[in-house]
Amino acid sequence: MAEVVFDQASRIYTPGAKPAVDKLSLTVADGDLVVLVGPSGSGKSTALRMLAGLEPIDAGSVRINGRDVVDVQPKDRDIAMVFQNYALYPSKTVAENMAFPLKMRGVEKEERAKRVREAADMLGLTEYLDRKPKALSGGQRQRVAMGRAIVREPQVFLMDEPLSNLDAKMRVQTRAQIAEMQNRLAVSTVYVTHDQVEAMTMGDKVAVLADGKLQQYATPPELYDRPANAFVAGFIGSPAMNLLELPRSSSGVTLGGIEIPLTREVTNAVGSRDKLTIGIRPEDWVLESTDADAGSVVKAVVDVVEELGSESYLYAHLAEDTATKIVVRGPGRVKVRFGDPIAVRPTAEALHVFDVESGERLD
Amino acid sequence: MIDRAEGWRRRAPLLPALVFTIIVTQIPFLLTLFYSVQSWNLVRPGSQSFVWFANYVDVFTDSQFRQVAINTIVMTLGSVLIAVVLGLLLALLLNRQFVGRGVVRTLLITPFLITPVAAALLWRTVLLDPTLGLVNFVLSPFGASGTEWISQFPLASVMAALVWQWTPFMMLLLLAGLQSQPSDQLEAARVDGASAWSVFRELTLPHLRRFIELGVVLGTIYLVNTFDTVYMMTQGGPGVASANLPFYIYQRAFLGFDIGQSAAMGVVVVIITLIAASFALRLLFRSFSVEEGI
Amino acid sequence: MAVTTDTASDERTTATDEAQVPRKQRTSGANVWFGVIAWIVGIAFFFPVFWMVLTSFKTEADAYTTTPKIIFEPTLEQYEGVFAAGIGPYLANSVAATVISTILVLLLGVPAAFALSLRPVQKTTDVLFFFISTKMLPVVAAIVPIYVVVNQIGMLDNIWTLIILYTGMNLPIAVWMMRSFFLEVPGELLEQASIDGAPLWRTLREIVLPIISPGIFATALICVIFAWNEFFFAVNLTAANAGTVPVFLVGFITSEGLYWAQLSAAATLAALPVVLAGWVAQNKLVQGLSFGAVK
Ligand SMILES: Nc1ncnc2c1ncn2[C@@H]1O[C@H](COP(=O)(O)OP(=O)(O)O)[C@@H](O)[C@H]1O
Ligand SMILES: [Mg+2]
Repeated sequence: MAEVVFDQASRIYTPGAKPAVDKLSLTVADGDLVVLVGPSGSGKSTALRMLAGLEPIDAGSVRINGRDVVDVQPKDRDIAMVFQNYALYPSKTVAENMAFPLKMRGVEKEERAKRVREAADMLGLTEYLDRKPKALSGGQRQRVAMGRAIVREPQVFLMDEPLSNLDAKMRVQTRAQIAEMQNRLAVSTVYVTHDQVEAMTMGDKVAVLADGKLQQYATPPELYDRPANAFVAGFIGSPAMNLLELPRSSSGVTLGGIEIPLTREVTNAVGSRDKLTIGIRPEDWVLESTDADAGSVVKAVVDVVEELGSESYLYAHLAEDTATKIVVRGPGRVKVRFGDPIAVRPTAEALHVFDVESGERLD
Repeated sequence: MIDRAEGWRRRAPLLPALVFTIIVTQIPFLLTLFYSVQSWNLVRPGSQSFVWFANYVDVFTDSQFRQVAINTIVMTLGSVLIAVVLGLLLALLLNRQFVGRGVVRTLLITPFLITPVAAALLWRTVLLDPTLGLVNFVLSPFGASGTEWISQFPLASVMAALVWQWTPFMMLLLLAGLQSQPSDQLEAARVDGASAWSVFRELTLPHLRRFIELGVVLGTIYLVNTFDTVYMMTQGGPGVASANLPFYIYQRAFLGFDIGQSAAMGVVVVIITLIAASFALRLLFRSFSVEEGI
Repeated sequence: MAVTTDTASDERTTATDEAQVPRKQRTSGANVWFGVIAWIVGIAFFFPVFWMVLTSFKTEADAYTTTPKIIFEPTLEQYEGVFAAGIGPYLANSVAATVISTILVLLLGVPAAFALSLRPVQKTTDVLFFFISTKMLPVVAAIVPIYVVVNQIGMLDNIWTLIILYTGMNLPIAVWMMRSFFLEVPGELLEQASIDGAPLWRTLREIVLPIISPGIFATALICVIFAWNEFFFAVNLTAANAGTVPVFLVGFITSEGLYWAQLSAAATLAALPVVLAGWVAQNKLVQGLSFGAVK
């Protein structure tokens, strides 16, 4: 089994241009599933391909089990990769596809057949072994690609958006299967996705990338509860966290005419800044009666109601500042409609405080 | 369901082209059929008469015709196969990144574009001339100077010119094939541990198969009609050593003025071609655009 | 798996370095060699053409040496000689036959390609196979009756004879090729336009035509190449009056050897227009020759 280390690893496609991956440093502990997540173009695939040996490492290093692999060919890195479009070999049957990496490594024919059969069993592909990829459904192809990775029994699995070509239902199913299988095989895995829900549900740890730079590397709860900067705060969680730029008041910040107090530690950290970016998750608002005192609640007007049954999300703008929009989680079957006034109050202890300029977390 | 009026509205834009093509390409063939059962020599006016299948009997007992038919097969298939193999090697080279790839490709396709008549003249004089030709000049250090390529190896000389002209086409075709191979499959193979040779044999070659088939079919269709190169390089000679069917029929019709005979040969060629073409057509569009398009 | 220590990793930039030292990748020398080989082969294939052009600027004395001459005083006298020998009318004929037949092909072919793609007629497949099958029939089998008919209607050595035949020769290729371009136009576009209430011909002119015009241009270039290079019909059906450039070149066959430089000049003139057209259309050449089968 293996530990994977990115050590200040960079990839610069065109000399002089901004690096696609910029001094990435992170460690994948043995047996962990680490998810690289970020918006499109943030360098996730590039980082994965650097680990696979499909992209050169222009600076820094990548180590697998302590071995620097910069000059090691992909085939000698003892990794297996699942590609976004599966990259199945169209001229080969399912069985031949899965056996291919073994054949290339000179594994005996019987042994190959045995391992292919085991993997096919595990993935429910037994009856399709003689088919060509063209004759399979999307989900089946995806499983063949997984199978081709599993039979290798590699040190590390690499997966680049393996679920993005599946429909929503299949995606949720397969997500669970992959997580379960990875757990069982206990093979270190680096998994790339742009979908933060996939990241949060699958990852032992999650690395958030933006613009080629690592924003935060943490467990899913940590990421949710203590995002390292405003970008992570806005990226993780759905609907996204409310990020409001608010002026300082004597003991906190002011929002919609009320004062939101900050704790002593935060106040110390904030120093002399006269503005702050305050993050409030939709569930961290308390809905109050609209008759409540003007000084104690924020008044807003509802634009859209998303009714999900068990809960609802109210998209609203502030009554006294129509440019400021907020999202508030409410109970299911909420009675408010478009244009209705509401009154809300943020839960003081759940506030996230960021620097306006750098976006860094301050507390 | 398309009603009658709509049917005609749809057909209208097609009809001029269709009618034109039928008149220009089909009527001559019907006339060929008609002439082929006549005895008719242009230099003897009034000699036209109906002779049933006498012309066909003559064609099949003509030993030169058989020789020429064999020449045609050797020339066509030989040139096509050599061009495909060379074209494949060149395509593999050009599929790599290197400085000036576009320029090299442009250089390589030029022989294909040269007017065949000019190309044939070039080969006959500048390249293959026994005393002044570049080929003998280049080969002279190896003691091969003075070879009379055109008269000693007429068929091979013609084929050399054809291969030179058609290798670029095969290269372009197979390059298109190579570039249509999804790069993630190649990357997957690298990760899976395949050597360059394994990738080529196990993945690239199967992928290229239909392109190779297409190259063979198209090359055959075009090269079986070769006329310019034979006419300009060897005039089919010596004797009929390098004559192919188009040239031989031309000789019969325009040098011998034997309309009936050459028409009968034409019919024979058409029949052979139709048999070959019905296979070729199926092969040609089995896996290409027709199935998506229709 | 044992942890292997790598001596090379000692030189690694440390994690605290601010400005990163770029790492030297192991670049495979093989790629360079493939490039060198490709260049050599490319030059070898091109060399006869280069030599032809070079020779066309030589005097006959310079051209006619047992050791090929590379250094010489260039002269235009061969080109003057070629024009003095009367290539002019032949060039004019080639241009007329090529340009007019290509225009006719487009006039007939664009509507036909449309009727076989975006608004398909019934039996589209049959019509398509009819078109392609005409290219499978050897021309040589048709030359006899064509000659007889053309002779009878007094059209021998007439440029319009070639124009008609070249149109017939190129039309099937053009229809197939342009059809493959039409098929790339999303069908929803026509539907959208018809929902918007635009008449069909306006949709075609204002929306479809701009999309496929690069394809039409490529098709035209390929028709130009075929028409310009055509020899069989030209040599059998024309003479001094309507002869094209390839027919003019035949004149050198009797006097070659003595006039290599002039021959090279004539051949260069004959080949030049098509070489240029082909260089421009090189990405579409295969598509044309394969009847649109390969994009
Ligand atoms: N082959 C390439 N050449 C040049 N730039 C590239 C190449 N591949 C990716 N990039 C650039 O690198 C950045 C990161 O790309 P990628 O790793 O594919 O992002 P992601 O997978 O996160 O969507 C993007 O800005 C992209 O445009
Ligand atoms: Mg990606």
